[in-house]
Amino acid sequence: MLLIATSPAFTQKCSLVLKGHIQDTDSREKLAGATVTIVELKKDIVTDSEGDFIFTGICPGNYTLRVSHVSCETKEVKISLTKDRHIDIQLPHLKNTLGAITLNSHKGTANTGFKKELSERQMDETKGLNLAEVLSRLNGVNMLQTGSTISKPIIHGLHSNRILTINNGVRQEGQQWGNEHAPEIDPFVAGKLEVVKGVDELKYGSDAIGGVILVEPKPLMSQPGSSAELNSAYFTNNRQYVFSGVFEQQLKSLPNFTYRVQGTYKRGANASTPDYRLNNTASEEKNYSLTAGWKKHQFSTELFYSFFDTKVGIFEGSHIGNIPDLENAIDSDRPDPVYTGENTYTIGRPNQDVQHYLAKSKTVIQNGKHKFTLLLATQLNYRKEFDIIRNSQSKVPQLDLGIATYSTDLNWQFNNKKRFTQQAGIAAAKQENQYAGRYFIPAYKSNTIGGFYISKWHNSVWNVEAGIRFDHKDINSNRVRQGGEIFDENHFNFNTLGSSFNAGYKITSRWKINSNIALANRAPQVNELLSNGIHHGTATFETGDINLQPERAVNISLNNSWENKKGTFGIEATLYNNSISNFIYQQPKPDEPVLTIAGAFPLLVYQQTNARLSGIDFTSRVNITKPFIWELKYSMLRGRNKDLDDWLIRMPADRLQNSFSYNFNDSKQFTGTYFSVDYAYTLKQTRVPDETNGRQDYKPAPGAYGLVNADVGTTIRIKTLPLSFSIAVRNALNTVYRDYLNNLRYFTDETGRNIQFRLKIPIKK
Amino acid sequence: MKKFITIFLSIVALTIGLSSCLKDKAGEVNDEELITTLKLAFTPVTGGPTVTYLFDDPDGPGGVAPVQDIIKLNAGTTYNVQITLLNNSALPPEDITLEVIEEAIAHRFYYAPEGNTAITVTNLDNDSNGIPVGVNSTWTTGAIGNGTIKITLRHYGASPPNKELSDPVNSAKSSSDIELTFVTNLL
Repeated sequence: MLLIATSPAFTQKCSLVLKGHIQDTDSREKLAGATVTIVELKKDIVTDSEGDFIFTGICPGNYTLRVSHVSCETKEVKISLTKDRHIDIQLPHLKNTLGAITLNSHKGTANTGFKKELSERQMDETKGLNLAEVLSRLNGVNMLQTGSTISKPIIHGLHSNRILTINNGVRQEGQQWGNEHAPEIDPFVAGKLEVVKGVDELKYGSDAIGGVILVEPKPLMSQPGSSAELNSAYFTNNRQYVFSGVFEQQLKSLPNFTYRVQGTYKRGANASTPDYRLNNTASEEKNYSLTAGWKKHQFSTELFYSFFDTKVGIFEGSHIGNIPDLENAIDSDRPDPVYTGENTYTIGRPNQDVQHYLAKSKTVIQNGKHKFTLLLATQLNYRKEFDIIRNSQSKVPQLDLGIATYSTDLNWQFNNKKRFTQQAGIAAAKQENQYAGRYFIPAYKSNTIGGFYISKWHNSVWNVEAGIRFDHKDINSNRVRQGGEIFDENHFNFNTLGSSFNAGYKITSRWKINSNIALANRAPQVNELLSNGIHHGTATFETGDINLQPERAVNISLNNSWENKKGTFGIEATLYNNSISNFIYQQPKPDEPVLTIAGAFPLLVYQQTNARLSGIDFTSRVNITKPFIWELKYSMLRGRNKDLDDWLIRMPADRLQNSFSYNFNDSKQFTGTYFSVDYAYTLKQTRVPDETNGRQDYKPAPGAYGLVNADVGTTIRIKTLPLSFSIAVRNALNTVYRDYLNNLRYFTDETGRNIQFRLKIPIKK
Repeated sequence: MKKFITIFLSIVALTIGLSSCLKDKAGEVNDEELITTLKLAFTPVTGGPTVTYLFDDPDGPGGVAPVQDIIKLNAGTTYNVQITLLNNSALPPEDITLEVIEEAIAHRFYYAPEGNTAITVTNLDNDSNGIPVGVNSTWTTGAIGNGTIKITLRHYGASPPNKELSDPVNSAKSSSDIELTFVTNLL
């Protein structure tokens, strides 16, 4: 860059001030920790937590400003400076890495200890998949599946109620009782998906033993105008098609008001393994959301409403009556032909029909250094399960659950200095559950009240955060017979405490370490306390225990991320150890089988032990040449039942992923063109519970498998429209395999080759 | 600040006091799939009084353990045998046999005598496709002795059920609704 000084410096005072603000083009987030350089003066400065920077004592002249940030593309801007000036610069999101290393990158205001975020490309490559499938792109996140249609995320070996899912700022309260209950969220709502551990967990609860999943929509538009985006996808394996659209607008005539409308429709037919098609694995999903915002001076308010509606079929051949049935199914290599071969969109029994409604209002008042946020939310969740029953004409669900949650959160944030922030909040929630049909969990009413305090401090190298939270929860449960007779009443009270301490240190600008120690307490859920009945999927008789105590987890994690000077080689490693006392799990009681008309069923009892989950996630990235990137990911986890000196069941096996990607140079017509291929290898899970402690699993863990996946994508500019196309091939070699974490691995192989076509059309005005 | 706290507390009070917007759910229906009782009625073909033997689990799986009779029959006799399935936890008790007969093309009873008892089960009644259902059958007893008989009710879950004559009791096409082994005494 050449310095073109137009004015003789000696006639001017070198006392000009250049101020500015840096934000992310796509998410419109403030970018803290961005480096702003005046190239000609070799002066640089790092933006603060609000994304602001300031240079003083600058001579008038023409300069080049270079702005760089770890998760964005570097941008250069030419400016002419004759008087004090304020400049806003937007940085586009980084597009040419497979998974941006965002650990501890000071992005946004939340300086989180441990954060994994999906890159924009990962988000694009997973459009049309469900939430767990999308998140499993992150190292350390796995999926717990029931066939091809139901999957839920596992973070470092923990899932369901041990993970909090925060949907647009609201703690998701759905039905997460069983392994076959997937989160009720449309990933198309999200502009950003993150997995967070650390101090920020405490804003949402004291019970995030496994971590927090943040599903965050893009912020509403801040400038007048309108924009739309259309996404569509087609998957060959199950002839699944997806359409999703979003439209948002801020009117010039009413600049305080902004709104957004979003909707998704998705439908898939029966899925196919390499050798056979699985009957009744079709699915259908209809979702929409509406957002409206009003902003004036220090006051802003936002209303959000979303509706999620899904119906998923469960493979017909997985219905079993008793243990001999299960053993027969396990002994055969493939399902009987009566359960395979149909290629249809029709969903029969067994199936699940789930709706989730969320209405939320968020109001923010900024008063000097104080910021108050009031969040009110109502959630309704309905789940109907249709089993295979004798009467094939029946339209009645066998299980019909409805849960309503009303929550109020008031948060106060205080920035007295740029380096120091404090946050406190109080939260209250009320929940009610009702049911009809067979007994699974009781009806209950519960109240939760809690409060937290977090404070954060950072300078250019240190980043220290601490927080504490307390919650009180009471549950009143009962069973109701048809006609209203109430029996089996129970009353529970739980106090839970959470706290967290996080310290990050920048050894150099390219080498960062972070350590976190967190205490979390989780109160037992009603299913753990009070379930009592046959679990048809596994031919077991499960009972709860009303004497269970809250789980207490002490989680220590260490992160290390390093990049060489040229930025051509980077590594990131996370080490963690989660010691959980009173860990709730299901213990088989082989000496107490439950006799029924269909034979003896093994008894499983919810019980507590001391457990330890420890592991490592490792990622390395090498730019072999600038456009040619090799990335290696490895994750390992060991889960121990310390009281029995045994392994814990259903823990993810070690996984190794090797990927190569090539980014082509942009041309006039084609931009962001890339090709990538990866090989994901999952080892056999050899660390399974010993049968001497009671048989928990009727089939040994399946063998190791490797899958080849490939992706190619580009953006073509047609007139002013940048159309993004991509083709992805999953399981390209049509490998036959079964996964340890799929509940239907007793019965069927995993799905075969799936070619996925995607088209994205963003329209901006 | 005081104002904020007042506002917040009143909202909390409102939240706690909110009446539910749940559609009222009916509560626990008696598990329509539950079979509490299997009754076997034996009538000698040559005439005579009918004797019945039971498997009975009035509260369903779990809770109080089921009661099961020993089947005592005369040696060297032929009986017409009729199975009745009941859900006695329902009010009024439901006759599940009717449902099985109605969905006969998706159900099948199997009888497997074991041990030293010489019992032969024949003449099972058929569904509309001419394939056995076995709600009614004929039992012929041999010499005096003790043994067991295993009675299995298989349900075909797929649609169409694809029930075939050659299907074994452990066919992958069907699953067990009932699997009971009775002790048999031939006197």
